[in-house]
Amino acid sequence: MRSNNTSEPWRVGILFSRTGFMAVIEETQLRGTLTAIDEINDKGGINGRPVEPIVYDPGSDSKAYGLYAKKLMVEDGVSTIFGCYTSSSRKAVLPVVERLDGLLWYPTLYEGFEFSSNVIYTGATPNQNSVQLCRTLMELYGTRFYFVGSDYIYPRESNRIMRELIRHSGGSVVGERYVKFGADRSAFVPIMRDIQQVQPDVIFSTVVGEATVFLYQAYADMGLDPKVTPIASLTTSEAEVRAMGFDVGEGHLTAAPYFQGVGNDSNTTFVNRYKKRYGDDEPTNMCLEASYFQVNVFAKTLEKTNSMETNLMRDSVMGSEFDAPQGGVSINPIWGHADLWTRIGRANRQGQFDIVYESPTSVKADPYLIGYGRCLEYS
Amino acid sequence: MARYDHAAGKRGPSHKTAASAGQSNIQAQQKAFWDLDVAIIARRDDEGERLMRELQRLRCNVRHIWPMPPQIPVQFDLVFCTLTEDLPQRIPWIPGEPEAALVVIDCGTGELDLQLIHNCAAHGVLHYPATPRTTQTCVALARGHFLYEKRLRGRIDKLDENLRTMRSVERAKSLLIRMKDVTEEEAYNYLRRQAMERRVTIGAVANAIIDSHELLS
Repeated sequence: MRSNNTSEPWRVGILFSRTGFMAVIEETQLRGTLTAIDEINDKGGINGRPVEPIVYDPGSDSKAYGLYAKKLMVEDGVSTIFGCYTSSSRKAVLPVVERLDGLLWYPTLYEGFEFSSNVIYTGATPNQNSVQLCRTLMELYGTRFYFVGSDYIYPRESNRIMRELIRHSGGSVVGERYVKFGADRSAFVPIMRDIQQVQPDVIFSTVVGEATVFLYQAYADMGLDPKVTPIASLTTSEAEVRAMGFDVGEGHLTAAPYFQGVGNDSNTTFVNRYKKRYGDDEPTNMCLEASYFQVNVFAKTLEKTNSMETNLMRDSVMGSEFDAPQGGVSINPIWGHADLWTRIGRANRQGQFDIVYESPTSVKADPYLIGYGRCLEYS
Repeated sequence: MARYDHAAGKRGPSHKTAASAGQSNIQAQQKAFWDLDVAIIARRDDEGERLMRELQRLRCNVRHIWPMPPQIPVQFDLVFCTLTEDLPQRIPWIPGEPEAALVVIDCGTGELDLQLIHNCAAHGVLHYPATPRTTQTCVALARGHFLYEKRLRGRIDKLDENLRTMRSVERAKSLLIRMKDVTEEEAYNYLRRQAMERRVTIGAVANAIIDSHELLS
């Protein structure tokens, strides 16, 4: 593995679902990962050796993520895994990489309050999205929030944090509903009726997967007006908006480190290359971008260590910087989470997000919200 | 230690009490093995028989399983299992979340594969012959590591929970300071007093205050 004059490939594992109810978004994460790997290989690989991906499809089943992670590490002899969208799938992989000492690169926003020496987190934590989203929503729409979420760890935890932020800023949560993981269209009709009655100022959605489409469509069918009561989300990206229809998504808000509309050279190149490969009407999104840049951070690190040993990789990646499509990002050495940009976008008729807020610099990851102990009004 | 005491005991009658104290000490230690549910997944040859007898002598509940099942059964406290190349695939649990202590039996032939042992995430390795010493140390260490890992996992869960509680207490405290116009110290004492009087945790009181504040406001 450490020999310098070998052309043997660097083998890495990839775990994203191409089937099941998480496929819409995870398919884009898979593409982001493979695009980055292809670009690296086109340039001659890392220290003269190509990267060889070993890809499994866990089919949106959390338990399968744990089993495939084990298979990757035990049978395929891989130590680096790129993958996971939902927190339940991450938590299934966690014991495997911790016990066998692997490194999971996790390119998805999540609820924070986690740290592991065997994970690099490259999606946003609540201080990088929820805090500013809450502030913006209160300024623009009002203080009465209604929560709708899928019933699993991420929505419950995100809502706990959001509730904390809202209460401390003098707002209130006037409703809270959860739908089954992989819920169908009909699950949202009673919720929309309730929303019509309660008349909140904002609907905060933590619905993920296919059901996202049903939520926004049910909203549109009910004739509600996004200018008055928008749906705000941390997960609804260009991919979901395309799936629900541009007219349905228009006017709703999302907080994310990246939107396709981010204006810089690195992003223009990224978007053009992606379209060339997958088609002109294929949008990019935050999870795709994180999947893409984390492979590049991995490659830069491996170039230095020339070894995939987890402890060497981890020590070396801490503090490293990369010019990502979203702007300059770095891996925060305290937490092993990425310092990312905070942006809030409003979906337009073209299925893109108009940026209504952008942080002046990247925002340091604070997964345990240590710097946000009290409330928004003091920060 | 037992052997030393035994030898010392032979030297003269004056050591007899020390010797029997040592004997009862080792017996007390072995009590930890009593009624442990142990599976032996190994060929029932002379060596296998010997391991089985040794475990029975330690008063474990021993079950012999052979040929090797496609999945290692999960209902045991401790599993002795012959090391084979496909053992990791036969282990039904996820590495890091073991359901039993696992000792792999290395038969001593062929090339040593440390990566394979790593992949099994085993708690110990037994080399034949299964002498009383080898067997006892294997059982004790494997069981010890397994339980220690479990306690650590429990501690992490508890820490995660505490972290959430501390945030609730912080929030409740700041609510009290604002609503009742008291100092931070007084707010904290109030929470503590309430918890004591109601015999609930301080976190539960904090959550109740936060929830009721939400209802009232």
